[in-house]
Amino acid sequence: MAADDLSDLIARVALRDRAAFSLLYTQASAKLFGVCLRILKDRSEAEEALQEVFIKIWQRSGRFAAEGRNASGWLTAIARNHAIDVLRARKPVADQIDEAYDLADPSPDPESGAVLTGEGRRIDRCMELLETDRATAVKRAYVEGLSYQELADQFRVPLNTMRTWLRRSLMKLRECLDQ
Amino acid sequence: MTSADRSSGDRSRDEVLAGEYVLGVLSANDRQKVEARMVLDRNFAAIVQRWQENLVSLDEEYAREQPPAWIYPRIEQRLHGAAPTAAAAVTKPGLWQSLAFWRAVTAFSLVAAVGVGVANINWRSGSSGELTAALAGKDNPVSYASSYDPKSGVFRMTPVAAGPEKAKSLELWLIQGENPAVSLGVLPQSGEGELLVPAEWRDKIRPGDLFAISLETFGGSPTGHAQGPVLAVGPAVIKP
Repeated sequence: MAADDLSDLIARVALRDRAAFSLLYTQASAKLFGVCLRILKDRSEAEEALQEVFIKIWQRSGRFAAEGRNASGWLTAIARNHAIDVLRARKPVADQIDEAYDLADPSPDPESGAVLTGEGRRIDRCMELLETDRATAVKRAYVEGLSYQELADQFRVPLNTMRTWLRRSLMKLRECLDQ
Repeated sequence: MTSADRSSGDRSRDEVLAGEYVLGVLSANDRQKVEARMVLDRNFAAIVQRWQENLVSLDEEYAREQPPAWIYPRIEQRLHGAAPTAAAAVTKPGLWQSLAFWRAVTAFSLVAAVGVGVANINWRSGSSGELTAALAGKDNPVSYASSYDPKSGVFRMTPVAAGPEKAKSLELWLIQGENPAVSLGVLPQSGEGELLVPAEWRDKIRPGDLFAISLETFGGSPTGHAQGPVLAVGPAVIKP
């Protein structure tokens, strides 16, 4: 998916240009169907999900330009998020966000420039700093949309160990990306 | 707890939570909580977005798979109903032709200091009735601060930064809901400009409608549909 073409097509979809939407579907549907299939692992669920994904793309296209995202990443994120939502609804997993943690509390202002430091940087180099099994767990979580429990089962470690693996890995990755 | 303690502790917790959300390991409930917070908390939303950008190369793991042919017609049907209707015919009002400044585009000056900030749209409501929209394009260095006054029918805009395009016109489009974009006219070709919105549209522009600007051949799109690249899109909001 060439970034320039996709960005332009999404902007045209925001103008309710149905020809552009059709072209966007032609260019992006195979990739996004691949995302739905990989996460949902069920063909008919993936077919239903792909429809929902493109309906969301039509509805959210007006926000794309303002979000300043990479077009292919923006599309894939809509597909991933939708497929993961379907997966979690189908097979619920335990909540973990502490009720006492007030999510509506505004996060502290980042030190100046901090938010921009790691922006746009790719993860590849930093993934190499993780131990192999942890890097695999991070990758598998992302690509397959696995829950902590499923990852723990696959790696044959206790649930809490898997949580610690991924959280420490995230902190290490952030540290590396910020350098 | 001092604000510094709170700050560093919450920062790393926010980083991990945002990373967990992007990885996809959270429960449905927790995902909703994170998404709700992203709406309310711009800093947190930026942390999530940064993870999304950082992890985007993992998207390469997904293999392409051609979906069955019946899916696209189903999507069209769900979005637009059974029978595809012809796009509403859009004619540019003759009035506009006489008001346009058909000046050749000289090179727009590039204002480097303007970045993503322009794209942050305030959703505060006010009582003036004037609508405002920040129009921002990602790949193109053109941004406009704009406002529309329903009483006078004047759409006013300030180019914040623009690319050096020549012999082209910038055309303003209005998008309401699911309807095809309607041309509101061609923008003045240099500096701060105003555009008189065609009379039939003056009372019909509402908060939430989208304004968009496309780069067209000199004089505007001859077809009534945007043909050139879309430079900027932004929703109309009540001016605070």
